[in-house]
Amino acid sequence: MPENESLIEHTAKHFFDFDIAPEVYSSLIVCFIIIVFSIVIAIISKHRDPLKKPHGFMSVVEYGVEFFDKFATDMMGPAFKGMGGFVMALAMYLFLSFIFGLTGLPSPMTYMAIPLSLGLVSFVMIHATAVRYQKWKYFKRYIDPFPVFLPINLMSMWAPLLSLTLRLFGNAIAGFALMTIMYTALEALNQMIFSFMGTWGGAIGTPIVTGIFHLYFDLFSGFIQTTVFISLTSIYIGQEGPEDITDVQTTEISMKGGN
Amino acid sequence: MGEAGYYIAAAIAILGVMPSALGEGMVCAKAMEGISRNPEAYSKIRSTMILGCALVETTAIYSLLISILCLFVH
Repeated sequence: MPENESLIEHTAKHFFDFDIAPEVYSSLIVCFIIIVFSIVIAIISKHRDPLKKPHGFMSVVEYGVEFFDKFATDMMGPAFKGMGGFVMALAMYLFLSFIFGLTGLPSPMTYMAIPLSLGLVSFVMIHATAVRYQKWKYFKRYIDPFPVFLPINLMSMWAPLLSLTLRLFGNAIAGFALMTIMYTALEALNQMIFSFMGTWGGAIGTPIVTGIFHLYFDLFSGFIQTTVFISLTSIYIGQEGPEDITDVQTTEISMKGGN
Repeated sequence: MGEAGYYIAAAIAILGVMPSALGEGMVCAKAMEGISRNPEAYSKIRSTMILGCALVETTAIYSLLISILCLFVH
């Protein structure tokens, strides 16, 4: 803060200077893409005859929705039939965030706050499900097997959150760092080989080699991490659900969730 | 020492990927054994194997993360 400026003056002048990382804007763009896509599909599917066979683009969309519904039922059990939408939204956001680095803009996953929020989403979902199905028995897990274990249980409660967050962040940042090293090294090498081109020499061979590695580090790694994240979230949530499938309450909930 | 210490720390931290690689090899070997015994279960075993590999990889990713932090964040 400069000397000749009072605190109020300083605050008023710099009120709109939010220090927001560029990755957050990338994340907002990804969210925007998903929202527009979903609204467009909702409008298209509303004006369709449900008795007719879907064709073209809509058949792909229907296949996707069916796939995620089946995924949720397979992984979590029949009580969670309505969770397909949650899993699909997570999967879309994760995969788009991972491949967003291909556009040249910073990938949202390389900013720690965003994997942490995704981890928090599934963490809150796991505990909310546990409270919903186990009611007061939920608190029994913290004093299991003896009340002496309370501090240990309170610590180990955060393990899934940490592991989900660091897995995403570590994968994204590792790919990012390796790609940056590769770009720097290949640019220097190509500049040496094509030195007759001047400063443009570095741009000749570099994109051909790095493109292949982008396929691995962004597309393949992003796909695998998306699969792992949604599988782990589903398994964690499924563990908290009711165990008896033939329970009357279960069928009631699954019917409610299916709508 | 100062600067060199960070590089040495990064080099030590990256040693953690060694057991992870061994574990991944074991996952693949066992999956192949399973496939050769029961070829019909190929698609199921493959998807489970990829999931298991990614889970095993986690520790390697942690070491890589720590090593990158040692290198760049100081």
